[in-house]
Amino acid sequence: MRSVRALTAVALSLFAASNVAALAAEPKKGGILKVYHRDSPASASIHEEATYSVNIPFMPIFNNLVMYKQDVAQNSMDSIVPDLAESWAWSDDKKKLSFKLRQGVKWHDGKPFTSADVKCTFDMLMGKSQQKFRKNPRKSWYDEVVDVTPSGDFEVAFNLKRSQPALLALLASGYTPVYPCHASPGDMRTKPIGTGPFKFVEFKANESIKITRNPDYWKKGLPHLDGIEYTIITNRSTAILGFISGQFDMTFPTEVSIPLLKEVKTQAPKAVCVVEPVNVSTNIIVNSSSPPFDNLDIRRAMAMALDRKAFVSILFEGQADIGGTMLPAPGGLWAMPKEMLEKIPGYGPDINANRDEARKLMAKAGYGPEKRLVVKVATRNIPIYRDPAIILIDQLKSIHIDGELEVVETANWFSKVARKDYALGLNLTGNAVDDPDQSFYENYSCGSERNYTNYCNKDIEKLFGEQSAETDVAKRKKLVWEIDKRLQEDVARPIIYHSRMGSCWQPHVKGVTIMVNSSYNGYRYEDLWMDK
Amino acid sequence: MFAYIVRRLVLMLVTLFGISVIIFVLLRIVPGNIVDILFDAAGFVDQADKANLEKELGLDQPIFVQYVKWIGGLLQGDLGYSYVSEKPALQEILPRIPITAKLAALALLFSASIGIPLGVISAVKQGTRLDYALRVVSLSGLSLPSFWLGLLILMASVSMFGTMPIFNPNPATWTEAFAIYAVPAMAVGFRSAALTMRITRSSMLEILRQDYIRTARAKGASEASVNYHHALKNAVLPVITVIGIEAAFLIGGLIVTETVFNIPGVARFLVEAIRWRDYPIVQNLVMLIALVVVVTNFTVDMLYAAIDPRIRYTD
Amino acid sequence: MAVINYDSELRRAGAHSTHGWRKLTYLAQRHLLGAIGLVIMVLFVLAAVLADFIARYDPLSVDSLQRLAPPSAQHWLGTDSFGRDVWSRIIHGARISLAVGVGSTLLGSSIGVIVGLASGYLSGWVDLVFQRITDILQALPLLVLALVMTAALGPSLPNVIIAIAIPLIPTVARVIRANTLALRELPFIEAAKSVGMSETRIALRHVLPNTLAPLIVLMTAQLGSTILTEASLSFLGLGIPEPYPSWGRMLSESAAEYVRTAPWLVIFPGVAISLAVFGTNLFGDALRDILDPRQRG
Repeated sequence: MRSVRALTAVALSLFAASNVAALAAEPKKGGILKVYHRDSPASASIHEEATYSVNIPFMPIFNNLVMYKQDVAQNSMDSIVPDLAESWAWSDDKKKLSFKLRQGVKWHDGKPFTSADVKCTFDMLMGKSQQKFRKNPRKSWYDEVVDVTPSGDFEVAFNLKRSQPALLALLASGYTPVYPCHASPGDMRTKPIGTGPFKFVEFKANESIKITRNPDYWKKGLPHLDGIEYTIITNRSTAILGFISGQFDMTFPTEVSIPLLKEVKTQAPKAVCVVEPVNVSTNIIVNSSSPPFDNLDIRRAMAMALDRKAFVSILFEGQADIGGTMLPAPGGLWAMPKEMLEKIPGYGPDINANRDEARKLMAKAGYGPEKRLVVKVATRNIPIYRDPAIILIDQLKSIHIDGELEVVETANWFSKVARKDYALGLNLTGNAVDDPDQSFYENYSCGSERNYTNYCNKDIEKLFGEQSAETDVAKRKKLVWEIDKRLQEDVARPIIYHSRMGSCWQPHVKGVTIMVNSSYNGYRYEDLWMDK
Repeated sequence: MFAYIVRRLVLMLVTLFGISVIIFVLLRIVPGNIVDILFDAAGFVDQADKANLEKELGLDQPIFVQYVKWIGGLLQGDLGYSYVSEKPALQEILPRIPITAKLAALALLFSASIGIPLGVISAVKQGTRLDYALRVVSLSGLSLPSFWLGLLILMASVSMFGTMPIFNPNPATWTEAFAIYAVPAMAVGFRSAALTMRITRSSMLEILRQDYIRTARAKGASEASVNYHHALKNAVLPVITVIGIEAAFLIGGLIVTETVFNIPGVARFLVEAIRWRDYPIVQNLVMLIALVVVVTNFTVDMLYAAIDPRIRYTD
Repeated sequence: MAVINYDSELRRAGAHSTHGWRKLTYLAQRHLLGAIGLVIMVLFVLAAVLADFIARYDPLSVDSLQRLAPPSAQHWLGTDSFGRDVWSRIIHGARISLAVGVGSTLLGSSIGVIVGLASGYLSGWVDLVFQRITDILQALPLLVLALVMTAALGPSLPNVIIAIAIPLIPTVARVIRANTLALRELPFIEAAKSVGMSETRIALRHVLPNTLAPLIVLMTAQLGSTILTEASLSFLGLGIPEPYPSWGRMLSESAAEYVRTAPWLVIFPGVAISLAVFGTNLFGDALRDILDPRQRG
């Protein structure tokens, strides 16, 4: 017995020692990191796109004012660190956020970085400048910002209409790089210039993206890598085989599905893999402006017919999260407690009881086994949309609803949604930042472009403002839970699940951190290195 | 003959003109255009931004004006700009041509080098079990979807070598080059090989029945000499025609094969461009494909006339 | 161009026996491969027609407990990632393939026949215009044209049928035109004209029936290629949309994810496509031998 214990102790100490050695290992310089990319992004301009297909390859070209510390997996106010701004401060009335900027930073073309660049970037985002983005998907992030005022070359302040603590979180996102004044939006789409650790080399649509080490990076000694090469492979099987056979050092982050992950584990057991939430929710957009879903009973019945666990087990082999609008714990910071969640209709653990209830509601609305309700379920012609729609239709059968799948091409989807030409729609909502301001305003606020269902509830709108201005985090959380619960009860946009995805890299790749509550913020890659 | 060539050339122009009109109109009756797709990732379509972008791309102009602009540019060698990458369309298309051309050439080479000999054997051994077997094989070649064949090859490669070829524009070794180009070329060329074999067989049979072959036999020419010298030479003619026809089919096959093998050639680029509604790319690529087909057919006809003195074009 | 000697072989067969069944068995023996092809085709038609009875499960019904199950007694060809029975999906997929194959072949051929007849019989400017249109349609590969058409029309069953039918028109029109031109010069047409039969009537009563043999041969050959085209379109994601179980799409989805983990999802739909096309090709070949021995291979 004693000897066993002794052995264990020795083993443990050895393990600890080797761990320390690994941690203490000096990062090695050099090497081109080879990664596959899941699709061909529309452009290289992060500000104009809203997908991490753009963030991941191009975030290393830039810096933000502030950023989420890249080796902390959970984004929070506490993990925000200086980037181009050396420090920041809120005014006493919390309506002014000022930044002191770093001096001596140069753009990749050698021009100096100043406060003017910051102003240019945010003026353009707010639609105030001469030059315009082709598209500006996150304009609403700055709704509370009155203006951005530089004072001198190295100080800049954001003046707000009201206090908004979450602004700092938005500025820290991978979606918020600082662009140079002297490059046009068109240039930024095709050959972007930044201040970041890597320089843009080339982007061949459907083929590859290449970036190379910025030797004059203002953080001395960084980055470790000589460059990063992305090969665009849209077929997941091919891509994963490339990784398994060692042709890639890393998979595209947060893109490996659970079945493929199993394959990696058996075929390349040495690979390091993690499965983390991506903060993308799959939800149902309900057309409540016309029959049959203008009837709250039918909406409720539908919400109660959902067997969320079945979705998660079919699509993720159990590895996805169930919750409300906000990303569930432990990854998410703002999710309501489990007891609270389970009281919401349709979230209770007894599916059969829920469905009995749902059938009663359907009967009340005049539908039953004899008179079934036929509805169209519209979704996009992309597997991650289509697959849950197939399951949804199957589940709705149990409450006498016959769903008919209608697959819509990308080019027609948003116009169809805008025309309200659907009864139910299956939709995905990505959240760049795990913060209620971002998800509530974007998806549920009256008049927001991404509020597809035009859900508009003045009471709740008031609560949005209240939580946003609240500076006490504990109080804000309570408010957020209440709002989230009411959104679900109103069946505003029923959330089915929050997906998780896998990321893998070869054991020689060091310094990768996959964030647990956002898939948009963790790709600066300046401290990534390869041990070979 | 000269008049015939001129006539053919004029007809070619008419055909190309017709295609340009059809493709142009087809693309513009589609509901939803490039702008909707560009806005896709943003999660919503901002009407003001959309209008601006349509103006920037010239999509707000009358369709006739757009057409004249395109053709006008095309005649001066200006293919316009890709909507998506904002690079000149020519710059996007040109580098992809050699990749597809290599694949197509290899596929044709494969189909001729497999199809002709097997067709000859099949004809010479007409009615035997070998002939029967070869005919079934060639029919199956016409029945297997090339993308499925490609997938099966990939599956086999994975289970035998634990890996599969991933496209690399500059293969380092011969084996890599073989895996990258020859394997997909075979997958797509299997069908052409089957067709070539069938045509070779039937034209061989027809010729073997003809008088001059009988004469040659009667004169005491050896069986081999009859088969390979006299008959094959004449049987090659229809085979050339087939290769001409196959050029069109091959492009279809390459579209799926490039997709299966993840090869960034023009054929797959067309599919991507159609998805993106990237009109300048789609239009110009379709014109390029039509040009290849039309020119191939023309060349085949001319070749035919050159080889076979019996053919006279007076039509 | 000679007269089409379309049923010489049947007549030859008839010389041996007057009995219909004997005639058939004679043909089946002489054209063993064709007979096999016919059997395959009949099986596919039966599968399509009787899909509801042959399929063991609802092809759309999801079963979270039976995901990616390998072939077994319960699920003959295994299940897909939703736990849907692959056998049932393939049987129902036969409907789609058959609908597209037959639908587009009939549509394309009937338009092709009209164009070909008009072009060959009327000559003049009608011929000229039709000829140029056929030139244009033939200058584009079938798949390219179908791709652009489905993109333009949107992916749905009728649209896919139309998109595949249109490229067929020129092939059919060419053959019919050539035959019509040849027939027009024949004495019995001249005779019909001389007794004052109207042109339309001559075309329908005398010319059309005599072009039937090559038409049938051509249509059988096209059937296979339309099935293949639909599969390719669906494979590229531009064909028949969900929820219809289309073989091509079944392949494209499994190819993306399950090449290794669930090979049955890649193998069986491919076998279904190949077998269906192989059957029509075998049968088409034999039919050509019988109806149109001049072209005999």
